[in-house]
Amino acid sequence: MKPAKVIAIARREYIARVRSKAFIITTLMVPGFMAFYAVIFPMMIRADVDVLRITVIDAGTGIGGALKTRLEEIESLPFQMQETENVRESEVEAVRQRFSDAVRNEEIDGYIVLIPNEETLARSQYYAGETGNIVIIETLEGAIETTILENWFAGEELERLRAVQRAGMETITVSASGEERGGFLVAYISTMILGMLLYMTVLMHGQQMAMAIVEEKNSRLVELIIGAVTATEYMIGKVLGVLGTGLTQLSIWLLMVAITILGILPGLAMGAAVAEFNLANVLDFRALAYFSIFFFLGYLMYATMFAAIGATCDNVQELQQAMIPAMMPMVLAFISTFYIMTNPNSFASQVLSFFPLFTPLTMFARVNVSEPPLWEVWLGIIVLVATVGLTIWGAAKVFRATILFHGKRPSFAELFRMARAAS
Amino acid sequence: MNSQYALRCIGLTKSFNGKTAVDNLDLSVPTRQIFGLLGPNGSGKTTIIRMALGIYARDAGEVETLGSADPLEVRDRLGYLPEDRGLYPKMKVAEQLTFLGAIRGLPQREAKKRADAWLDRLGLADRAKSDTNELSKGMQQKIQFAASVLHDPELLVLDEPFTGLDPINTRLLKDLIIEQRDKGTTVVLSTHRMDQVEQMCESICLIHQGRAVLAGGLSEIKASYGETSVSLEYEGESGSLHGLAGVREVRDSGRTASLLLENTEASQDVLRQLVDRVRVRSFRLAEPTVEDIFLDKVGYVAPVDGDNGDGGNSGEAVP
Repeated sequence: MKPAKVIAIARREYIARVRSKAFIITTLMVPGFMAFYAVIFPMMIRADVDVLRITVIDAGTGIGGALKTRLEEIESLPFQMQETENVRESEVEAVRQRFSDAVRNEEIDGYIVLIPNEETLARSQYYAGETGNIVIIETLEGAIETTILENWFAGEELERLRAVQRAGMETITVSASGEERGGFLVAYISTMILGMLLYMTVLMHGQQMAMAIVEEKNSRLVELIIGAVTATEYMIGKVLGVLGTGLTQLSIWLLMVAITILGILPGLAMGAAVAEFNLANVLDFRALAYFSIFFFLGYLMYATMFAAIGATCDNVQELQQAMIPAMMPMVLAFISTFYIMTNPNSFASQVLSFFPLFTPLTMFARVNVSEPPLWEVWLGIIVLVATVGLTIWGAAKVFRATILFHGKRPSFAELFRMARAAS
Repeated sequence: MNSQYALRCIGLTKSFNGKTAVDNLDLSVPTRQIFGLLGPNGSGKTTIIRMALGIYARDAGEVETLGSADPLEVRDRLGYLPEDRGLYPKMKVAEQLTFLGAIRGLPQREAKKRADAWLDRLGLADRAKSDTNELSKGMQQKIQFAASVLHDPELLVLDEPFTGLDPINTRLLKDLIIEQRDKGTTVVLSTHRMDQVEQMCESICLIHQGRAVLAGGLSEIKASYGETSVSLEYEGESGSLHGLAGVREVRDSGRTASLLLENTEASQDVLRQLVDRVRVRSFRLAEPTVEDIFLDKVGYVAPVDGDNGDGGNSGEAVP
C-alpha cells in the first residue's frame, strides 16, 4: 500500500465533500437549529406576552392579596395584576361568568380562582384564553404553592423552609477513581450529544461517499482509478476523506459553541437555565477523552460500513435500499442507551456494549454513568478498531470483485455495450 | 523478461456470461513504437487492453506487461486513456489532472507542476480553475490524454483516442502521440479507424471476434501482399465490377473502386476485363491499404463513420 496514493484519494474525497452543498448547509443548519432551541425559542415564549393582565378571585382562602403581591414581584413575566376580588364561595360561579366574559372580550388575559380547602388551604384554578404556555403555568403554580407555604410558616420556620427549598439535592457519582459531582443529567445529555453528532455527521457524509463510490463505479472513472490504485488504497482513501470531512464539520461546530459560550451567553444572561447546567460539570476531562475516542472510532466504523455498502451496490436505487438496514443498528444503539444508562453494568449492558455496531454509543453511555472495568472499555475499543479493519478489508474485496477485477458482474454499461454489439 | 516487447499476451482468453470476448489471443507489442490494435467495435480490443492493464482478471493465458506477469505491479509505469471517458464533473480541471497524476504515483507537488505545464501546452491554462463539466467534450478529451501521460509512462494505451475530436484536435492529438513515441514511449493505439493505423502505426494486430487475424510490421505485411491493390476511377453501370477474374475483393463506391487482386501478375488481365466493361479513367496499382488487408482477412469492412461507430455500425454485423 502506498500512503501517497491513499492520501491522494482521501484529499480528493475530502475536497469534494467539503465543497458540497450538503456540507455547507448542514454546517450552518445544525448550529442554527441549536441556537433556535436554546436561545430564540425560549425568547419567543417570553416575548410572546407583553403584558399579562390577571385577576385573583379569592373565595375565602385569605391568601389572594399575598398571591397578587407575589406575582407582581416576578420579573421574568410581565404580570399586571388587577384588583383582587374577594367573594363568597357560593358566589364564585356567578362572578366567574363575569370574568370569563372579560377574558373573551380581551379585557383581561386570565384569572385565578382560589377555593378554600381543608387539607391544602386552597384549591386553585386558572382560567385564561391561552393556557398552553408552560412558562406561565409553571410560574403561577409555583407562586401559589409558595404563597400557601408562607401562609402556614412564619419567621424562623419560614427561613428554614426557604433554605430547604434552595438546597435541592446534589448528585455525586462514586467510582473507583473517586467521587464526582454532576450525575445522570450531564451523562445523559452528553451521551445524547455524542449520538446526535455522530449520526448526523456520519449519516450525511457517509451516504454521500457511498453515493460517490456507486457513481464512480458506473462511470468509467473507476477504470482509471482501479488501474492506478489498489482497491484497499481506494477504500481507505475514501474513508479517510470522509473522516476528515466529519472532523472538519465537528471543529467548526465546536468553535461556534465556544464562541457562543464565551461571547453571547453571558450577555443574554440566561439565568436559571445556565446556572443549573454547570459548565465545569460538562467539561469533564475523562468524559471528553472518551467522547473523542468513541466519536472518532464510531465515525470511522460507520463510514467504513457505508463504503462497503457503496462497493456492493450497482446503482443509486440499490444503494438507497441498502442504506435502510444499515441505519437500523444506529437506531437500535440509540434506543439501547436508555436502558444502559439506568443499568450500566448489567449483563445485557455488557453484551450490548461489545456489539461493534453499538459500541461507540453503548460503551460511551456506560463509561459516562458508571466506571466499568478498564479492560472492558479497552476491549470495546479494540473490537471497534478490528471491525474497522475487517470492514475495509471486506469492502476492498467486494469492490474488486464486483467491479472490474474478476469481471464476474459486468456493470450495466458493459452489459448494454455487449448487448448492442451482439444485436 | 524480454525487453524487446513492452507487452506480450499468450493464449489470452476471456468470456462474459458464456460469451467469448477474447479467444486464445497472442499479441506482441514491440517497444518504442506505435502499435495498432485494429478491429471493429465489439471485436474485443477493450477487453484485451483491460486484461493487459490488470483491470480485468483473465480466464486463461499469460500477459507480460513491461516485463511483469502482474500488470498491477507496474501500474505506475502505465498510461491509459479508456474508451469511455470519465472525469469528475464537479472537480476543478487542474485539481483533476493533479489527482490523476498523483494516483499514478507522482508526488502531489510534482503532479501539480506537470498538470499546470500540460494545461499551458493544451492552451487550457485559463480553464485551470473551471469545473470540468464546463469544458467542451474536445477539451475534456485533451485533459484526459494529458492525464494518461502526466507521469511519463513507458507503455501508453489509448483506446479510441480520436473519438469525437474535430480535425484540428485530431491533428493535435496525433502530434502529441507521435511526440510520446519519439520520447521512447511504447504506444498501443486501439481503434476501428483503418486510416489512422495506416498513418501512424509501425506494427499492427488485426482483431476479429476476439481473435488475432493478422499481426506484424505494417510494411512487411503490405510487402507480403505485393502490389495487389488497385485504385480505380471509372464510369459505368453499377454492378459491372462483379465477377472479374483474378480479383479477390471489390469495394465499389460507384465512381471509384478499390480492388484486391489475387496476385500482382493478374493486374494486366484485370485491366483488360475492365476496359471491356466500363470506361476506365484511372487505374493505379499499389500495395494494399490496411482496409484492403482487413477486408481480405475478415471478409468485410465496417464503414468508417468518423465517430466511434455507434449508430448502426455495431461492428459485429457479420453476415
